[in-house]
Amino acid sequence: MTELEKHSYDVVVIGAGGAGLRAAIEARLAGKKTAIISKSLFGKAHTVMAEGGAAAAMGNVNSKDNWMVHFRDTMRGGKFLNNFRMAELHAKEAPDRVWELETYGALFDRTPDGRISQRNFGGHEYPRLAHVGDRTGLELIRTLQQKIVSLQQEDGGDDRLRVFAECTVTDLLLDGSRIAGAVGYYRETGEFVLFETPAIVLATGGVGKSYKVTSNSWEYTGDGHALALRAGATLINMEFLQFHPTGMVWPPSVKGILVTESVRGDGGVLKNSDGKRFMFDYVPDVFRKQYAETEEEADRWYTDPDNNRRPPELLPRDEVARAINAEVKAGRGTPAGGVYLDIASRRPAEYILKRLPSMYHQFKELADVDITEAPMEIGPTCHYVMGGVEVDPDTAAAGGTVEGLFAAGEVSGGMHGSNRLGGNSLSDLLVFGKRAGEYAALYVDRLGSRPAAPAAAVDAAVEAALAPLVRENGENPFDVWSDLQQVMQDLVGIIRRKSELEESLKLLVDLKERIGKVSAPGGRRFNPGWHLAIDLRNMVLVSECTARAALEREESRGGHTREDFPQMDAKWRQVNLVCSVGQAGEVELVRKPVPTIRPELLALFELSELKKYMTDEELAMLGDASAESTGRPGQPAKDGE
Amino acid sequence: MPEEITLQVARYRPEQEDRPTFDEYKVPLRKDWAVLDGLNYIKDELDGTLSYRWSCRMGICGSCGARVNGEPKLTCGTFLTDYAPGPVRIEPLANFPIIRDLVVDLTDFLVKLGAVQPWLIRDEDKPVEEGEYLQTPAELDEYKQFSMCINCMLCYSACPVYGLDDKFLGPAAIALAQRYNLDSRDEGADRRLTVLSQPEGVWGCTFVGECSRACPKGVDPAGAIQRYKLTAATAAVKKLLMPWGQR
Repeated sequence: MTELEKHSYDVVVIGAGGAGLRAAIEARLAGKKTAIISKSLFGKAHTVMAEGGAAAAMGNVNSKDNWMVHFRDTMRGGKFLNNFRMAELHAKEAPDRVWELETYGALFDRTPDGRISQRNFGGHEYPRLAHVGDRTGLELIRTLQQKIVSLQQEDGGDDRLRVFAECTVTDLLLDGSRIAGAVGYYRETGEFVLFETPAIVLATGGVGKSYKVTSNSWEYTGDGHALALRAGATLINMEFLQFHPTGMVWPPSVKGILVTESVRGDGGVLKNSDGKRFMFDYVPDVFRKQYAETEEEADRWYTDPDNNRRPPELLPRDEVARAINAEVKAGRGTPAGGVYLDIASRRPAEYILKRLPSMYHQFKELADVDITEAPMEIGPTCHYVMGGVEVDPDTAAAGGTVEGLFAAGEVSGGMHGSNRLGGNSLSDLLVFGKRAGEYAALYVDRLGSRPAAPAAAVDAAVEAALAPLVRENGENPFDVWSDLQQVMQDLVGIIRRKSELEESLKLLVDLKERIGKVSAPGGRRFNPGWHLAIDLRNMVLVSECTARAALEREESRGGHTREDFPQMDAKWRQVNLVCSVGQAGEVELVRKPVPTIRPELLALFELSELKKYMTDEELAMLGDASAESTGRPGQPAKDGE
Repeated sequence: MPEEITLQVARYRPEQEDRPTFDEYKVPLRKDWAVLDGLNYIKDELDGTLSYRWSCRMGICGSCGARVNGEPKLTCGTFLTDYAPGPVRIEPLANFPIIRDLVVDLTDFLVKLGAVQPWLIRDEDKPVEEGEYLQTPAELDEYKQFSMCINCMLCYSACPVYGLDDKFLGPAAIALAQRYNLDSRDEGADRRLTVLSQPEGVWGCTFVGECSRACPKGVDPAGAIQRYKLTAATAAVKKLLMPWGQR
């Protein structure tokens, strides 16, 4: 076997964003010797960029809020394709996870009586997002980071909880079907490291770096998705990508950077180049009853939400992104190809500066625009992948053939269905990060013999990773990456068509071949070209899953819009698309039924609403089931029950 | 306006040279390009071996700090046009060991971060199910400014005291201690006193104020340090006058 640094842990967490850190804390609290492997510096993970807040039905601002309302909003937002059990656990446990974070020391903005303040956000019926200004993600990461440091001090340097920073995992190791370890390399030195462990939690985030215009940072190359696939796990619903409606479109160097949804939550509106507030024209039937029909009613909602309906600017993200896309396509866009987001004409400068300080600075510094005086130019940007590792909702254990693998946060799939509500990801990563850590620890407790990492697999992993360094006169990885991004942006973007998806799959085959031939000269020490060459393997594999699933799903729903199948189809709501990787590395896609929602959860919805999502057969079954259960579809849920 | 600007970028490749040197690159000078865009241009188009850290591009992750013409800056928020016609000198943050090119070793700070115990210390913890500790907006405002830190290390690069003595706790760590000391939910101020009031704690600071000038987030570590000196002095006097007292 190759000589390399070796460590042995009970649980290894890959990824040091919110989900990874929360999982590691839980595993360590359960007494497990735990390692956190972080691709970036400790504390710099993508979670820091989350602005709006963490959704948790604490009911601090509106006492009508409770987990059932949160559950309902989440299912609606995901167009009922969510794994209902995950949505249920998430809604029930989010308040405890936020309060727990507070006991670690997190600061949140406050209500006048000293409780955690909550703000409005798209798709949430009541003010629900615990937040601190517009830098909630930073506070969350800092708090979890410092909690980990406090646990390390408790341990007195005995290595029970250790962070391996700037270390990238290239391969998972298996003993039969059981997880046995992981191989990675230190970005700083290029030296390889072997982690022997029976349990791995994937918390690697998303895939946005496969797109040209994205809000995601450099780490988001689909590493966890690809590692899971190659270890025998399955991915579900990879066709669902969230394009956040409001990314900066100008200047070009910052294209894609996020403009928080809070701008709209705090009164900002969308206008086209004619100055028209166009979102009223784009309220789909399924949401008609919850959204205002006139500007007057929409404007009254900010101060009197009980007696007015919400402004259509606060529709779920997929709806808003599509509307902006349509306006621009119809020739009513801004010079830079976006639309206007205007808060300057609607709120006093003082209010904007207090509520949105980071946005003010972001535009002032990056675009030289004063958002208290002028509108912002914005457009959709690739933001979040709803699809991901298929997991057991309660334990976060990965599906497929592998044992000992867990996943939490963005890398996992199911929770958000076809579209994620803003604010539901910070809460998601706390709720399921904790669960993943807890159940990974339990898995280790119940383990009979400890799996062993086969030496040949370690050698193969190292050899494959080193190939781009050794290879001479190959293509520049940055060129291949740029071409991959263009293919995904142009052919597997917001609006999709059969012919283009087929074309993308052909091009991805070529790209896969080119990736196998890149060279990255410059040695092993902190060589960004080499790092990219390794990441590219993951990006192309995950991109293929997205394109395959997007071609298969012949309907439009949430973060998947087919121009040739523009309607949502109730038959497709019963289908999850599940990808795995075959012996020769080829992507295999199968259809699996979506789990049946428990009757008492269905009873939280009016029958008229369920009719928008379900087939006639399902609705007929529902009638039968309701007779036997306590749940009674057709009755509106009572708040507070 | 000239169409290009020259970046003089510090290179250090320990396997082939024993001290940093400078390489010059011409990059497009665009109105909207930050120094980071220039570095990315070099990496993508001119020299794929250039190493530097960055992540969010929006001034929140604190990864992309470097010295630009001698001053510590976030390269994502510093514009090339402000340095036209150039050349612009880009070097790693001062006062840290260099790993490669613009990448420095920040281990020392992580040790100091732990030393000030930056977490909520309570005599008695409240069970999670009982909800949050109450804290009014006014109580929050007491320490909120010191919580804005993004650990970008510009203040350590700017600090002449840290440059001379790396045992000095340093600006960000002390500001972080104050963030918790001033938090109405926290009861750990006396536990942090030992670390903060030692010679390498607040007393190391000679109040040059460079840290607050360098801070991209308006945290004002210098202010935090001065304020704490008063706290530490009062505590010392109390101890002298009332040696039997608890604190």
